[in-house]
Amino acid sequence: MKPISRRRFLKLGAGTSLVLGVYLTGCANESLLQAIPTPPPPAPAPIPSPVPSPAAAAPTAPPMPAPSAPAPTPAPTGPAFAPSAWLAIDTNGVATITVGKPDMGQGVRTALAMLLAEELELDWQNVRVEQAPADRRFGNQMVAGSASMRQLYGPLRQAGASALAMLLAAAAQQLQVDAASLKAEKGIISHAASGRSLRYGELVPVARTLPVPASAPLKAAEHFRLIGKPTPRVDNAAVATGQAIYGMDVRLPTMRYAVVARPPSFGSQVASFNADSAKAVPGVTDVVQIGSGVAVVASNTWAAFKGREALQITWQAGPYGQLDSAAIAESLRAGVSEPAAASAAQLVEASYDLPYLAHAPMEPMNCVADVRADSCELWVGTQSPGGAQAAAARMLGLPAERVTVNVTLLGGGFGRRADTDFVEEAVAISQAVGAPVKLVWSRADDMQHGSFRPISHHRLRGGLDGQGNVVAWSHRIATPGIGGMGGQMAASNARLPYSIRADVDAATVPQPVPTWFWRAVFSSQNGFVNESFLDELAAAANRDPFTVRRDLAQSPRLRTVLELAAEKAGWGAALPAGQGRGIAAHVEYGSFAAVVAEVRVDGGAVRVQRVVVAVDCGVAVNPLSIAAQVEGCVADGVSTTLKSAITIAGGQVQQTSFADYGWLRIGEMPVVETHLVPSSEEPGGIGELVYPAVPPALANAIFAASDRRVRRLPVRAEDL
Amino acid sequence: MLQLTINGASQTVDAPPDMPLLWALRDILGLTGTKYGCGVGVCGACTLHLDGVAVRSCQLPLSAAVGKTITTIEGLATNGELHPLQQAWIEADVPQCGYCQVGQLMSAAALLAKTARPSDAEIDAAMNDNICRCGTYQRIRVAIKQAADATEARR
Ligand code: FES
Ligand code: FES
Repeated sequence: MKPISRRRFLKLGAGTSLVLGVYLTGCANESLLQAIPTPPPPAPAPIPSPVPSPAAAAPTAPPMPAPSAPAPTPAPTGPAFAPSAWLAIDTNGVATITVGKPDMGQGVRTALAMLLAEELELDWQNVRVEQAPADRRFGNQMVAGSASMRQLYGPLRQAGASALAMLLAAAAQQLQVDAASLKAEKGIISHAASGRSLRYGELVPVARTLPVPASAPLKAAEHFRLIGKPTPRVDNAAVATGQAIYGMDVRLPTMRYAVVARPPSFGSQVASFNADSAKAVPGVTDVVQIGSGVAVVASNTWAAFKGREALQITWQAGPYGQLDSAAIAESLRAGVSEPAAASAAQLVEASYDLPYLAHAPMEPMNCVADVRADSCELWVGTQSPGGAQAAAARMLGLPAERVTVNVTLLGGGFGRRADTDFVEEAVAISQAVGAPVKLVWSRADDMQHGSFRPISHHRLRGGLDGQGNVVAWSHRIATPGIGGMGGQMAASNARLPYSIRADVDAATVPQPVPTWFWRAVFSSQNGFVNESFLDELAAAANRDPFTVRRDLAQSPRLRTVLELAAEKAGWGAALPAGQGRGIAAHVEYGSFAAVVAEVRVDGGAVRVQRVVVAVDCGVAVNPLSIAAQVEGCVADGVSTTLKSAITIAGGQVQQTSFADYGWLRIGEMPVVETHLVPSSEEPGGIGELVYPAVPPALANAIFAASDRRVRRLPVRAEDL
Repeated sequence: MLQLTINGASQTVDAPPDMPLLWALRDILGLTGTKYGCGVGVCGACTLHLDGVAVRSCQLPLSAAVGKTITTIEGLATNGELHPLQQAWIEADVPQCGYCQVGQLMSAAALLAKTARPSDAEIDAAMNDNICRCGTYQRIRVAIKQAADATEARR
């Protein structure tokens, strides 16, 4: 093998000690360090530790430059330069960027770090990325609403620029020259006139004594070296070697493992239980009742599962034991109101149905909690560090500062991990047994007892004038919604990015099935409905679905992505019989997307061949990561159009794993092409942007291929 | 006490023989690289090699692993050198959340050991039971081909 690989691997190992070295300087949360367990002797591999992703290698970018051979790292000789919570540079010049936002696969650990590194002129190869615990200094740490980049593009660049100004001032002092005559590049400040230069590490003792400037000039876009450069994730090496630490991988020395026996139907409760046979399972130590069911605690996960199987529980029948999908659908149809009357040359009516969906992140829910007398420490892959902290504090009657939340990598989130139910369970169990506990949800727990994207039923009436122009659009929604925000939120989210006056209203039809935010929230339903119905109107008017959208687009940025996607996809070019193209768009989060899908319909089967996506999300900070989010949205879109649904029978979710909750396999993945519109606008969101346009693009392509209009998801063979 | 051979080293495990290898690795031996995704053999997150064959460790009782050669992700790199697939995974920026990727890598490694230059159809067949909830399949395909190329170039 090439020697480069060997050195990279060795460097990965060295990364750990560097990170620990930084922790030792006290510039990051020291409680993390205290919590590192003693390595279990038999393990020949890197020791799992509760420190989030400790083995994160230095970021890499193709083509990969050969990193220098690892030298033994001397201990820093003094305190680090840490002008903000995000940054610490030690006297060795090692720069640690601490990211406050959790990473669930959206790539914030890389993209946010790039912002600061850009302005600070760091050598990306030598940047360490750490994960912040719940900490007010990082502001809103919740990852939701595709908001991270929009929230932090300014602040993180400013933090980098301010730090650079301080280093320049320190260098000016040390070299006795004017700061304006200095130039910073890759962690070195040089004075061209005299040929002298200083490394950032050498400037630390002086820089750390200087005041942090209120503001400092930001780089002009044409001088960006990192922003806009396709940059592989900082965690790739740790992931690919199995060293990345997810919540599920956290191990504490005296930790026990817990699973919860959950009710057989919504609203059912524990009447009584007999723990004898569960406790007879070797390894089971405790059986305790908590709010959501009965927890079985054991010395390992397997024993906990076996104990749960053996546990005898008498459940009080819940009020919803007869509930099924047909009854829910019926109540939505009964609850939806009539679309407004319209006078137009031609009326078009349609109704659409979307199912409950599970988030089903690859890593089932879990949380490690250690509740002590007057404090609590959590290790958890959460989208909401502050929410987890607040939930535990509330339960334990502790001030938030007494609850430490260590944030691990998340094995997927999609909204699910913004909830705190699994955190609360772990806290309750740890409190009950007086020991650190890792709560683990099985996949069936996750499928059946999670919270779901709400089901929805839609009725639309549209009108066309004699020339085929859309002159009326009335949309009525019935949905249980999410929590108390039911119909209201669905309706406010049903706006159209086109010059069409839409009249939208929604009815809240409560159901006992728990609901929650799922990628793109209500846009995931409204996107399908709006873009499908617009296609129906275009067909009724005998107009081209692309030109209708282009001509009605309210924003020139939307028009541009529509044109780009159409052009790249070869819109209008002939396709063989049985194949078709469909187009759809979505505007949200300050970004614009257009999707053209190409499908083949063969008997009762749909094959998605190619999906072309054009995106304008403002400044594209990390194009590689943006493309990944596009690919992920397409995969979600194909899955949920063709395969996935949560159904209810006997007051319970019927699906228990990926065997019955269908999800896309590698052979079903279409070719995805992502095209970015060059832009100097402020960055918009990307994580959820493309999803809402994918199911309608597919449905519209199915119509083009087969003349069959898909009005309920997932597509059934009988609808084709 | 059961005797296992994991990544070339002999290990003693104090666990019941019906415990799936997955949990012995993760909870008892501290080898958490191998992931739990479903526990019922349908997601592929727990994939490792048993005598060179990709198997689902959540479905493999310890008793069936005794006397066999077990390779986990922690043993995929040899002599301090990343496996060409690991290198390709990093360079092609495959992972999103990364949680499925250990299983993907172990399935891909078993494929390449048998088929040096797999076709798309062979990749689809070998990787079919490894679900990626984040949708990284396109990059997985690219990385497998990249690794196959790199391996051939070295021959
Ligand atoms: S955990 Fe073994 S196949 Fe899913
Ligand atoms: S990368 Fe998240 S499940 Fe595959």
